[in-house]
Amino acid sequence: MIEARELSKRYGDIVAVDRVSFSIERGEVVGFLGPNGAGKTTMMRMLTGFLPPTDGEAIIAGHDIFEDPLAARRAIGYLPETPPLYPEMTVAGYVEYAARIKDVPRRERRAAVDRALERCALRDVALRVIGTLSKGYRQRVGIAQAIVHDPPVLILDEPTVGLDPLQIREIRDLIGELASGQGEHQHTVILSTHILAEVSAICRRVILIVEGRKAVDAPIDELTRDGHGLEELFAREATRDLAADAAAAAAEGAR
Amino acid sequence: MRHVTTVSSRELRSLFVSPVAYVVLSLFAALSGLFFILNIAAFNLRVLQAQQFQAFEELQQLNLNDHLLAYFFDSMGVILLFVIPGITMGLFAAEKTNGTQELLMTSPLTIWDIVLGKFTAAAAFVTILVAMVAAFPGLLFVYGDPEFGKTASGILGLLLVGWTYAAIGAFASSVTRSQVVSFLIAFALLLGMLLLPAITHLGVAGDVAGAVFRWISTGEHFQALIGGLVNTADLAYFAVAIGVFLMLTKAAVESVRWR
Repeated sequence: MIEARELSKRYGDIVAVDRVSFSIERGEVVGFLGPNGAGKTTMMRMLTGFLPPTDGEAIIAGHDIFEDPLAARRAIGYLPETPPLYPEMTVAGYVEYAARIKDVPRRERRAAVDRALERCALRDVALRVIGTLSKGYRQRVGIAQAIVHDPPVLILDEPTVGLDPLQIREIRDLIGELASGQGEHQHTVILSTHILAEVSAICRRVILIVEGRKAVDAPIDELTRDGHGLEELFAREATRDLAADAAAAAAEGAR
Repeated sequence: MRHVTTVSSRELRSLFVSPVAYVVLSLFAALSGLFFILNIAAFNLRVLQAQQFQAFEELQQLNLNDHLLAYFFDSMGVILLFVIPGITMGLFAAEKTNGTQELLMTSPLTIWDIVLGKFTAAAAFVTILVAMVAAFPGLLFVYGDPEFGKTASGILGLLLVGWTYAAIGAFASSVTRSQVVSFLIAFALLLGMLLLPAITHLGVAGDVAGAVFRWISTGEHFQALIGGLVNTADLAYFAVAIGVFLMLTKAAVESVRWR
């Protein structure tokens, strides 16, 4: 469903993402894990076509994101780091607009909007102006925008940020529900987070990104089987790379 | 191109729930009324003077088109220069501060959908402004007999100038995140374009450069239309100006992808 081949992003001399490859099957829920500034957001922006990679390619639902961008983007629901909201619009008006720009046919639009509002528990605030909503509601409006066209692929950048524990549980349930659907309705989900508990709660597979490189890519059971927690793994991987780099630099200097 | 109207209708709706649209509309209505009254007063004075001095030849030449509406349309063109940047400043700058740029760029829209949608929304608003201006010459038709053709071509001129300013304003909005900066860039570009021909009067530019400057400026093309001359060359100028600035806007919007 999602395939990244040697994706790299460089800004001048700075390497934000360094030759990352992975392949994600339909119905998988994958957690992107990593310290702040590791390249998770850049990675997601490349997968959604917002940023072109310096090298490599991304294939979404069989469409190359840069060769066939419109078809690929139609297959993606994307929640950016900051929910992309128009503060002056009403919740229902905004979700309706999102449905229109995502090519939901006119006949199905009403039902699609209703379903998205229902799933994100936004019915009660449908006619409120977005600018007056609390952060948790805004986050959910952002998610409603991402799922309104029922895309096979969901890319969520920190979907539970700013939510209270109850809302976090609702969103986790929603994501689980989206991934467990049948056939056409089974979604593939990538989400980024630095809350480790979230990964073990929702994801079945973890991709750990450290300094733009893929450090670990494994099913979550495998990672926690030997009794070590994710936390330990996270700490080990995040520092190991730094140590390795320092060693490499020292070796370079010695030569 | 299917989504031009989707983008433009959202933009227009947002414009009309913001105070900007109403401030601009009332300001523009008040100013155009004021200028119309001043122009009528000046015209009246000229007629009275001509009568007093029994200057029959001048009396015969005085007409509502050349001696009233021409000045009125000209001043309205200058006022558009102040108000249009206010309308266009948020077009792209607001998308960047809202983070909605990321929504637009990852939806199945082309860059042209976005740019043309934004531009047509601004152009539609300008059309409302010009329709307000057109009400005043309408009054003249009730109480006098201006020439219809000349009046219509003046209004067309105002509309084309307004649309060109909207394209320039859209460009200014696409190169910055700040609405204030966008307003100032648009204002500086429009003022610069208006004043360009003045350089030729300083004598520093050669003949060729002078002709080029005058062609680039909206001034001469607008004056021709106010004078009742509808030339293909002048119409083509406005089409080219709008086209060039929309292409620049497209490049600027696309440039987030290069960075």
